[in-house]
Amino acid sequence: MSAPAPFDHPPRPMAQRVGAILWPSFFAAGVATMVFFAYVDPLQLRDMTFPDLPISRTLGYTLGFFAFWFATAASSLFTWILLRPASRYNRALPPD
Amino acid sequence: MANKKIDIALDTGTPGMYVSESKVYPREVSGRFNTLRTAAVFWLLGMFYVFPWINWDGRQSVLFDLPARKFHIFGLTFWPQDFIFLAMALMIAAFALFFFTALAGRLWCGYACPQTVWTETFLWIERWTEGDRAKRMKLDQLPWSNPERLRRSGSKHVLWLVFALWTGFTFVGFFSPIRDLAARLVPFQWGGWETFWVLFYSLATWGNAGFLREQVCKYMCPYARFQSAMFDRNTLLIAYDPRRGEPRGSRRRGLASVLERARGLLPLAVAEDYAVRAAFNPTAAVTRTGAHGTITFDRSANHEPLPKFEPEQLGDCIDCTLCVQVCPTGIDIRNGLQYECIACGACIDACDAVMDKMGYPKGLIRYDTQNGIDGKPTRVLRPRIFVYGALLVALIAAWTWGVTTRSPLIVEVLRDRNALYRETAQGVENSYSLKLVNKTDAEARYRIVLETAPAGASLSRIPAEIVLEPQKVLTLPVTVTAPAGTRGRAPLKFTVESGDGRVRKSVDSSFFGPI
Repeated sequence: MSAPAPFDHPPRPMAQRVGAILWPSFFAAGVATMVFFAYVDPLQLRDMTFPDLPISRTLGYTLGFFAFWFATAASSLFTWILLRPASRYNRALPPD
Repeated sequence: MANKKIDIALDTGTPGMYVSESKVYPREVSGRFNTLRTAAVFWLLGMFYVFPWINWDGRQSVLFDLPARKFHIFGLTFWPQDFIFLAMALMIAAFALFFFTALAGRLWCGYACPQTVWTETFLWIERWTEGDRAKRMKLDQLPWSNPERLRRSGSKHVLWLVFALWTGFTFVGFFSPIRDLAARLVPFQWGGWETFWVLFYSLATWGNAGFLREQVCKYMCPYARFQSAMFDRNTLLIAYDPRRGEPRGSRRRGLASVLERARGLLPLAVAEDYAVRAAFNPTAAVTRTGAHGTITFDRSANHEPLPKFEPEQLGDCIDCTLCVQVCPTGIDIRNGLQYECIACGACIDACDAVMDKMGYPKGLIRYDTQNGIDGKPTRVLRPRIFVYGALLVALIAAWTWGVTTRSPLIVEVLRDRNALYRETAQGVENSYSLKLVNKTDAEARYRIVLETAPAGASLSRIPAEIVLEPQKVLTLPVTVTAPAGTRGRAPLKFTVESGDGRVRKSVDSSFFGPI
């Protein structure tokens, strides 16, 4: 530490932060779902994994999309954590 | 020590926000924490490099047999059906991390993280080949055409590469039996994917431990960023005592420690003010160390340069900057708790050695809590310690109980999907496929009975005793025949039991007749 940080961007609005995590991941999940289910039939996938569950094709697509979205959103969230400026969390411990 | 010439960083790039990462040259250090860290490196890397070579019950002690979908860990075998134990093991790891972090800070980072452990090893190689901190800095300024540079840095890279390849080989040895893998090295008979993963893991080791080093901790590790959520003022930290150390400055020999002088410890507010102002107005020596932490001080903190202090006013910090020079993440611990600190304790070792030379008591930088540093009492037993501790103990107990009392048998049933039922001369037939998994290392014998079934139904065409080979899966087609006239859906239960009745597993299914 030899000089104070010259510029510290103020926190962005909540809608921007949440949007920047959920929207790109939604988009990526949509593309991934499309490509994945173009080759994999959800009913065949069901028979290979949980044959006893009453999973229809539509439910399979839905579950697939949300599973993809969960994964991509988790990744976006991780990116957000890593890109947060140090000034947001790198300070002395708060008083008891 | 105060007169000792301090090596000068030739890399004169101005440290700041928007410059590319300047290389950290951690200075060698010895002391209590370095010994502990070395011991941890030997223990952890020892486990990694040695375990695959140890055999247990006639097979590799730790083997993740992906093609067979089985994990062998010292006599325990885990099947895909045991996924719950993997999930629980991860939860145990998470709670252990929370518990030990709340209690004693980033023990994980300082001693156990593979990033730290391998970086440490790569640094040893760097020191053997290129020499100490000052030599390494000078060497890096020379062009590769210089014979000295070529010889020293060249041998460093060769050793790094050999060590990385050995690491990659060992890693693959956890998945593909390592003795067999070694035997197939000469003549070279590795499979394509084996070769790929050896090289890939070698490259990752080489890049992470040789080049990225502290940047992984600073830019890629989420744990460091959560540190403030797990820390409180009663958590053990690596901390500099500003009340004792400030104002810092060089002095002539003979000045006693503040602990033995009238001055004593400064009031906390004064000490913190001095520390912040020293950080904003670094001396030339401090600037040369190129410390680049990102600590954010209170907005209201005073940034004025400090006046020149009389020797009697000085604290115990002689501003030798050794604590900065030994730091593997290149920060100045005197600025207080920073997320970049991996709690390795190198600065404690360095400072203790300096205090010894000065004839001062050790512990100007020490393991202490923020409360301890502030001169307040520390409370170790606090609610979060009990909550994390209780959850940790409960999870470990549940995991141990679960693993030791696992059933040695898995039974699954699947109805024939092609036909709901068949009407034959004998009556109504339903077909099933029973999957039996023998999880033990011994042959097992079971019989199958129908426990719940429509009146008069029986199993047909199956042997009286089923023999399961050790660690094998058997898929058994089973037909259940019920008298003609059985109608609708009826519950069905298969029970598989051993001759002595000790192992007994039931699975439910359904029997269908014409409506």
